[in-house]
Amino acid sequence: MSFKKEPCRNFQRGHCRFGEACRYLHVTQQQPKSNVFGFGTQTGLSQQKKSNPLGFGTQTGSHQQQKSNPFGFGVQSSSHPKAGTDFVSKQNQSKLFQNTWTRSTSTPTGVAPQKSDNETQAANHKCTDPEACRRQIVEDFESERPLWKLTCYGHSKNAPCDIVGDISYEELRAAAYDDAKHGLNFQSIVERERNLLSSKLVEFDNLLRKPYAVPPGRSSSQTPFSGARPNSFPLTAQNSAPPLVSSFNQLGASQNLGLGIRPFTPSNNAFVQLNPNPFSSQSSNTFGTNNMPHRSEGAFNGHIPARTRGSPLHLI
Amino acid sequence: MPAPFTVSQLISGSNFEAKFPLSLSLSHGFGVSGGLSLSLSLSLSNLLVVVVSEVPMSAFGTPTAPNPNPNKSFEVAQPPSDSVSSLSFSPKANYLVATSWDNQVRCWEIMHSGAVVGSTPKASISHDQPVLCSTWKDDGTTVFSGGCDKQAKMWPLSGGQPMTVAMHDAPIKEIAWIPEMNLLVTGSWDKTLKYWDTRQSNPVHTQQLPDRCYALTVRHPLMVVGTADRNLIVFNLQNPQTEFKRITSPLKYQTRCVTAFPDQQGFLVGSIEGRVGVHHLDDSQQSKNFTFKCHRDGNEIYSVNSLNFHPVHHTFATAGSDGAFNFWDKDSKQRLKAMARCSQPIPCSTFNNDGSLFAYSSCYDWSKGAENHNPATAKSHIFLHLPQESEVKSKPRNTTGRK
Repeated sequence: MSFKKEPCRNFQRGHCRFGEACRYLHVTQQQPKSNVFGFGTQTGLSQQKKSNPLGFGTQTGSHQQQKSNPFGFGVQSSSHPKAGTDFVSKQNQSKLFQNTWTRSTSTPTGVAPQKSDNETQAANHKCTDPEACRRQIVEDFESERPLWKLTCYGHSKNAPCDIVGDISYEELRAAAYDDAKHGLNFQSIVERERNLLSSKLVEFDNLLRKPYAVPPGRSSSQTPFSGARPNSFPLTAQNSAPPLVSSFNQLGASQNLGLGIRPFTPSNNAFVQLNPNPFSSQSSNTFGTNNMPHRSEGAFNGHIPARTRGSPLHLI
Repeated sequence: MPAPFTVSQLISGSNFEAKFPLSLSLSHGFGVSGGLSLSLSLSLSNLLVVVVSEVPMSAFGTPTAPNPNPNKSFEVAQPPSDSVSSLSFSPKANYLVATSWDNQVRCWEIMHSGAVVGSTPKASISHDQPVLCSTWKDDGTTVFSGGCDKQAKMWPLSGGQPMTVAMHDAPIKEIAWIPEMNLLVTGSWDKTLKYWDTRQSNPVHTQQLPDRCYALTVRHPLMVVGTADRNLIVFNLQNPQTEFKRITSPLKYQTRCVTAFPDQQGFLVGSIEGRVGVHHLDDSQQSKNFTFKCHRDGNEIYSVNSLNFHPVHHTFATAGSDGAFNFWDKDSKQRLKAMARCSQPIPCSTFNNDGSLFAYSSCYDWSKGAENHNPATAKSHIFLHLPQESEVKSKPRNTTGRK
């Protein structure tokens, strides 16, 4: 697509002097809220809270006034854009800060206000209609598949992930560099990455196919697979001997960690060490599962009835 | 690992890769194929001044090879030999630090006068493994860097050995200096955030995160941490031991970068799905939240790797894996300027302290895995762009007129 622009008002009125060269879109009767601009897109279902079409200039006056500064600091901005304006004087800041902060601190922990925030945010989407959710997922997968595949995914903006197990560019690269340092050849590194990719794609496929029965919940799933020996060498297709267990374990471990919300407590998987040394080679069922996508699928099918929660990569 | 270069080596010219007088055979791969002719000259103070003159071309639209520098940005001398992972300008002066996957942290002095920009490599230090993040102390004297060796180093630029000041159990992905607390904060893939007093070897505080730290932004007292699996945790640094708020990202895919608004009312979050979310912290401002798409090319959806606010105008820049960087204004919800696409992804970018320089690197970010990494031919560039007022100054929304 070329530049996303607003629809041309002149054209809509019937007479635009720029014609083809016009920098606005010559379409008729487009809703102002269409994402022709790419801005203000409210994807997801009935996000009423945020469905302010253009999102700006439509605030009621009261909103702009002395809003309770959540943090108790910072500029009490009006809608005036920050064209070089400096922060509000510090005195204001501290004063406001004290006011709201004392309020916040009066709550037992930070959790209480946070929860209500979360609730209001997530209130828009409660996955009560699996069909609608499913449609959303289908639509997302058709039109909005990013190029980077090793990612988590949530079909609803503020709801937890449907697919967990993020791997970032840097993590993958760090693992590859680490492997290379340990003498692994380029081809094996590429193989390992490809395996990661294919298991992740399987996960996405499964999400698409499976009905969305319950809201995502963190569940321990995935029995440990065959323990693979650390640092055993090159890939054999149906073998549980992973080539790069060390680094892959790191990824596996991280993904494990990612799957559970529990911050740092050791997961149910006994064999995966969480903190101490993600780089150390641990036997990894993750790799085992990776190598055998079918088996893993079967396994977690057994464990996770309707949701594609765990992935072959994760073990929790 | 390459030995750190020193200023004396520089003067002798032995490390310069450019040949003088310059013809089109620059090793950095300037945009030769685009029909531009370049001339380089070395001034007395070891400045590299690039003069780019355009040769009129008949068929400009189809260069034979993709242009690594289509924006004609100034290129920083002696870029790292492997991809750049972070860029950081000194808050006090035009010193640029870049960390790289070649284990080095390098510092350049950038000379900027009018439309002329020059760079001088100044010094560098090594880590044992790739370095992922860097930040400056607020007084501009010290650089902190952290990376895959799970350590963060403190490097006093005026001389003196770098010292390890932080340790984690997994690579350190993000680092920031908090002057109001005189503490360094590091975020790691070991799912913790640690606060360090650089004089002590134990962290002042360790904060558990729900998942690996992917992104961090600090504007006291606001701190936002983006982790794996789309968690965004907001902290009030007046009470850093408590999560102020934990939200799930308004974007659907992996969080890539976050940056706080200059007025601390909220933050921007960028993801791998070519989308940026604008999020306000205050509930009463939730209606101002929105997301927008960017860094997409047809059906290809690239990730947004870096978000930076302009320090003066408070507009912001995004840089992505498509090799482009854009300037946006969130208040009027417009894109102020779309820059041309470089031939390689842009993994990181930053403004200098007054917004007169925008540094970005063009190098492989691993967005297509190991198979697309060719160490033999891969080149990393660090470019400096001079933002024009029209690009970074906010404009009222164009409703009836043109331009």
